[in-house]
Amino acid sequence: MSFDRYIFKVPVFICTIFLFSTQIKAQATFDSLNIKRPKHYFNTVIALDGYRKANQAFTDTNDFLAKRLKSYGLNQFSLSFYTPIITDVEEDTVKHITKSTHILLTGTYVRLKPVFDSIKPHDLVKSGLGLRFIFNSGKKGVWFFDVSPFVTKDRTYASRPYYRLASTIIYSHNVSEKFNWRIGITKSFMWGNRSYWPFLGLRFGKLDKVNLSIQFPRSISLNIPANEKLILSFYTKPQGGMYNFSNHDSLYYLKNDATFSYTRYELNTGLRADVRFSNNVSCYLATGISSKNNITFYSETANKDKRGMYKKYFFEQNLGPTVFFNAGIVIKFGKTRTFLNDRNMYDLMDLNNTNGVGDNNNSMGNPQIPITPKMKKNVNLNSIQDLIDYNDF
Amino acid sequence: MNRLFKIFILSCLIFCSGHSIAQGDKDKVEAIRYNFITEKLKLTTSESEKFWPVYNEYNDKIKALRKNLRQSLKKAPEDPSDTEAEELYQLDIKTKQAEAELYKEYRGKIKAIIGAKKTMKLRSAEEEFRRKVMEAIKDKDD
Repeated sequence: MSFDRYIFKVPVFICTIFLFSTQIKAQATFDSLNIKRPKHYFNTVIALDGYRKANQAFTDTNDFLAKRLKSYGLNQFSLSFYTPIITDVEEDTVKHITKSTHILLTGTYVRLKPVFDSIKPHDLVKSGLGLRFIFNSGKKGVWFFDVSPFVTKDRTYASRPYYRLASTIIYSHNVSEKFNWRIGITKSFMWGNRSYWPFLGLRFGKLDKVNLSIQFPRSISLNIPANEKLILSFYTKPQGGMYNFSNHDSLYYLKNDATFSYTRYELNTGLRADVRFSNNVSCYLATGISSKNNITFYSETANKDKRGMYKKYFFEQNLGPTVFFNAGIVIKFGKTRTFLNDRNMYDLMDLNNTNGVGDNNNSMGNPQIPITPKMKKNVNLNSIQDLIDYNDF
Repeated sequence: MNRLFKIFILSCLIFCSGHSIAQGDKDKVEAIRYNFITEKLKLTTSESEKFWPVYNEYNDKIKALRKNLRQSLKKAPEDPSDTEAEELYQLDIKTKQAEAELYKEYRGKIKAIIGAKKTMKLRSAEEEFRRKVMEAIKDKDD
């Protein structure tokens, strides 16, 4: 009996050693060559965005400030970026899943010029650096955490900088590649005032095909990739923010308040075209109707308890619909690891895109998700050398 | 300041477009290859979420190996010395060895995810796609 056991154990032991050694050997030969591979899945992406809203006259004849300011328009320029700083990939050899953790550094610089008819335009600046943590469970779930502290300042006149924080937590569940739901919470200024929103998302359709994406409260969009170069979207999304505004023009009657808070929001509904010029450069153009236009001035002294929403305002106007224009250029840098057809990775990219950078609610247009082209009749051999071996000929 | 900023943006654009011309075809062909394989394999959702990360990892490693060898061969002088030739020879052998080892290792992982039948289907899909690329190159030459 014991001899039989011994007979059985020896081959098992030898096989185990053999298997283990081939594993080590497989790693060893590749590793011995010291080949450098890209560390990250995310590119470093820089986006320049210009946004303009036509001037509108205030129709409220009873309000003293409305009569004084006469009309309101908006010009905004923003520079945003994100760059991967840590990527950790872990393979679970028992469950055969690949988990990954991604930490990104995000940054934003916004210059906003609200244009009033009767006063010199103020140059409001918002700048911030944030961190983004995204975890891919390797199964169906993806976790997204974003912290975006920023500082706002009125550059036109001396004003005190204000520090604020926007943050988001989302869990995203890929039921299939054609259906995804998301749930979370976001603290944001995209509706002007500081507010906490539940995040609820639904997507129908594949991310690289026609899809309808409802991401409350950030956006609703119908995305149609016409070909690998052009993606059309019909969308609606809020845009806004809270900035400090110098009281140099004495808009607030208490002249001791050198600065007050200016908030704005609008709901933009329109058509956007994303054009991918090349692998690394894309641009977008969007236009449509800006409705629910709101502008409010809050006194800082009257809203000393700044933890919640600002409630005491001294000026508020709702304006009718107007036309908006939005254009931007997105530039990708660096090489990344391949994540083709990896739906969780596509979802990661989309989460990163849906949530914009720095609470600006600007979308970079998913520049990293590839849209599969049709096979070309003639292929440049030099460019695809790494995909084929000379033995293939 | 504004001028400097414009120069910076322009340089970025020129740099990026130059880099991407070489990259374009490769990415396109790879994307088409992946779609071709998807159609042939008919993976379930659960198989798909496990298969693609492993397959991507394998392909990344293979591409890196081939690129490394190709670059070393390019850099080598037309008439290499005995030592240089020996180094290139060793690199060539090591590359082939690593390719074979990676193939074995990753096919094992793939088999554990999608089973032997689909793993063999993957092999024939890859072969078929390679033939198609060859035909496309041949069409160009003709």
